[in-house]
Amino acid sequence: MTQPQQPMLESMTDVPTPHRRWRFPSWSGALLALVILVIATAMKEPKFLQLSNILNILEQNAAVGMIAIGMTLIITLGGIDLSVGSLVALAGGLGILAMNRLFDKPAGDAAESIIPLFAAAGTTIGIGLLAGLFNGVLITKGRIAPFIATLAGLLIYRSTAMWIARGGQFFSDGSELFANLGNGFDIPGTNISRNPRRVVPMEFPYAILVWLTVAIVAIVILNRTRLGRYIIAIGNNERAARYSAVAVDRVKIIAYTLLGGITGIAALMNAANYTSVNSANTGILLELDAIAAVVIGGTRMEGGSGSIVGTILGVLLLGVIRNMMVMRGIDTYAQGVVTGGIIIAAVLLQRAGARRA
Amino acid sequence: MPDIATSELLLIQSITKRFGAVRALTDVSLSLDAGQVHCIIGENGAGKSTLMKILSGVERPDSGNILYRGENVTLKSPADAQWLGIAMIHQELNLVDELSVAGNIFLGRERRRLGLVNNRWMNERAAELLKGLNCPIEPTRRVGDLSIAHKQMVEIAKAVSIDASVLIMDEPTAVLTRREVTALVQLIERLKAKGVAIVYISHILSEVLAVGDRVTVMRDGRSVETLSREKAQQIGEQGLASLMVGRPMGDHFPPRARPESRLALEVRNLSVPGKVRTATFAIQAGEVLGFAGLIGAGRTELAEAIVGLRRRDGGEIVVEGTVITAKNPRQAGKAGIAYLSEDRKGAGLTLGMGIAENVTMVSLKRYCHPLISRREEDAATRQHVDQLHIKIGGVRDPIETLSGGNQQKVALAKWLEIAPKVLIIDEPTRGVDVGAKEQIYALIRSLTAQGMACMLISSDLNEVIGLSNRIAVMRAGRIVATMDASGATEETIMYHAAGVVRQG
Repeated sequence: MTQPQQPMLESMTDVPTPHRRWRFPSWSGALLALVILVIATAMKEPKFLQLSNILNILEQNAAVGMIAIGMTLIITLGGIDLSVGSLVALAGGLGILAMNRLFDKPAGDAAESIIPLFAAAGTTIGIGLLAGLFNGVLITKGRIAPFIATLAGLLIYRSTAMWIARGGQFFSDGSELFANLGNGFDIPGTNISRNPRRVVPMEFPYAILVWLTVAIVAIVILNRTRLGRYIIAIGNNERAARYSAVAVDRVKIIAYTLLGGITGIAALMNAANYTSVNSANTGILLELDAIAAVVIGGTRMEGGSGSIVGTILGVLLLGVIRNMMVMRGIDTYAQGVVTGGIIIAAVLLQRAGARRA
Repeated sequence: MPDIATSELLLIQSITKRFGAVRALTDVSLSLDAGQVHCIIGENGAGKSTLMKILSGVERPDSGNILYRGENVTLKSPADAQWLGIAMIHQELNLVDELSVAGNIFLGRERRRLGLVNNRWMNERAAELLKGLNCPIEPTRRVGDLSIAHKQMVEIAKAVSIDASVLIMDEPTAVLTRREVTALVQLIERLKAKGVAIVYISHILSEVLAVGDRVTVMRDGRSVETLSREKAQQIGEQGLASLMVGRPMGDHFPPRARPESRLALEVRNLSVPGKVRTATFAIQAGEVLGFAGLIGAGRTELAEAIVGLRRRDGGEIVVEGTVITAKNPRQAGKAGIAYLSEDRKGAGLTLGMGIAENVTMVSLKRYCHPLISRREEDAATRQHVDQLHIKIGGVRDPIETLSGGNQQKVALAKWLEIAPKVLIIDEPTRGVDVGAKEQIYALIRSLTAQGMACMLISSDLNEVIGLSNRIAVMRAGRIVATMDASGATEETIMYHAAGVVRQG
């Protein structure tokens, strides 16, 4: 498919183009698809647009959404991380273990200590950061291809989690603070109670807020910091970056550690939501969902440019499809067919866009 | 075969080829006769490679004709050239490391039997070919395990196996040992007897005189002169060298600044395994030290070793009296050394990014508080654009929209951002048009006038002489001569670079 390379047309481009042509952002395809899907679904299923359903979709996709944002940074860098799904299980599971160690069931109405919750958060996020650091060091100092290094991580983290839990689950010992983290805050003025004498307000899940925060931080990092600029530069041309005095190894290690940390946060929110972690199932194939969302969002797999907004749209697109299929009673086993088809369409669209540019 | 031996096989008539503003070839004509060796000599960049690319179908000429046995032909692809029987032995080896010697020789032309590759036949045939080259390599050996010299012999066997009528040899002996060179010369004699027309490109003038039936000298994209064997031998190596460089010096170089007495950079006994041997030199503040030499002499490798892009094997680097051990360009930059790569598109610039992003790539920290201030980036970029006369649209435009000369200025601006004490520039004006060239020269002058030291690597001898205070000549990894630029001529540099004049 590669076009024969043009000889250096130096002088012909000597007159600089005064204005760059305005181009559709790389995520316009994903946005268009999402809008069409939302309208089509809403017409068939009025319940789809209810606040509770929308919050439900957002909450269910928060964990994969956060990880996909971190994955966008890694793919922009020209890398990949397959270990994140397994890491969600391991980090979350170990977090619960650490918390259970410190948790004494409060007697009666005595307020629960916040220390066990901190232990869970610290352990889960700490394990995530460590695993990311390990990936980054393997890839840079160990010179192992990212695909291979993180494939090993995928196996090791999952296996460690299952080994510790003997293939079963990590259960929280009943910390309410922990369980609360998996819930949300009340939205004033709402009521989902059927009982007219009791008012039960709708909850806004904390996970969505965390996701939003991760997204904003990542957008700032990618577009406004040295780290982000260097991530893009390395993804574009690693050799040129190295020749331009960029500390390539350090940037890579930081980026993988960052993704590890975000995965830790996702693992924490996920564990809190279910108050348990299933060592065999939690986070399984999540790395592929995250990568799929990144691709659908218009980020180039080869690296060099990435869009956080696109990735969020990609996550939402996949989430809405899943929700729609459940609502319409479509066999959930057919989901993979639809997702796969969308990935192919997204890449073909991207390429068509790139050719025009 | 007397009729074959004198007949004209291939005729090239007034070929012109331009790459953008750069005229690579102007009105070049050449005739190749069956059973004759036609040598082509010229400096780096004289147009030899472009001419060969046209002959082998890689590039197409803008104008001019190619006649094969008197008939006009168009070579649209290497396959077209091969179909006519034009084969090329490449300077850079085009072999598949993972395949066997025989597998490489017959790559794409495998003999099949019952649909399967007939390895036995190919191995036998390859063994014969190699024996004919007096080079008994086992045909089943993996090419990746061979020495460079043996790889070159495989490449030669591959070209010979095609039974070409025209064989192009681009610097075939550069990596060969004496024994293999002898075998190659014998092979050339046999091919001549078979009526093959041979194009022989070499920097080694003694070789040219030994094998050439005719010698064409190229300079600045033109064929300056074609000499008969007798005439070439009459004027000798020195005469050929003069023809290669014989061009009056341009006077578009600003006057040299007087260097300061303090040393900016000292390099002592620096070696790079297999590339550079115990290089020792010093550059004063305000001085330009030019590095001349043929391609592959180790100049770029020396520069890359200084800034930590290559492993150093002993040696010491001192910047303004402080010993430094940079492991990468970042540390080198902190120590005050900037290196601008010869590979502008592959290593000098990040083509997918904008102008401002490239300008601030090295110095980005300065614009972070802690978030990048795009306003300050824009302002700094505009300042460079004005100072270096860079022609751009907007400061955030993609770098790809700029011409070669303007791209080079951006690459230069990127390093000027950190105000280096020592600037190493590798082929700063390659692919750059004349106007931008002069601006780059003037810029180097004004920077050295302010006390910056400059290590200038260039294959353009005119440029090296015009811009440098002193010139170091490298050959085969060594600095073989250092001379004052004011008295240097292109001839003397070429003698040292090609090894015509050997030091004690």
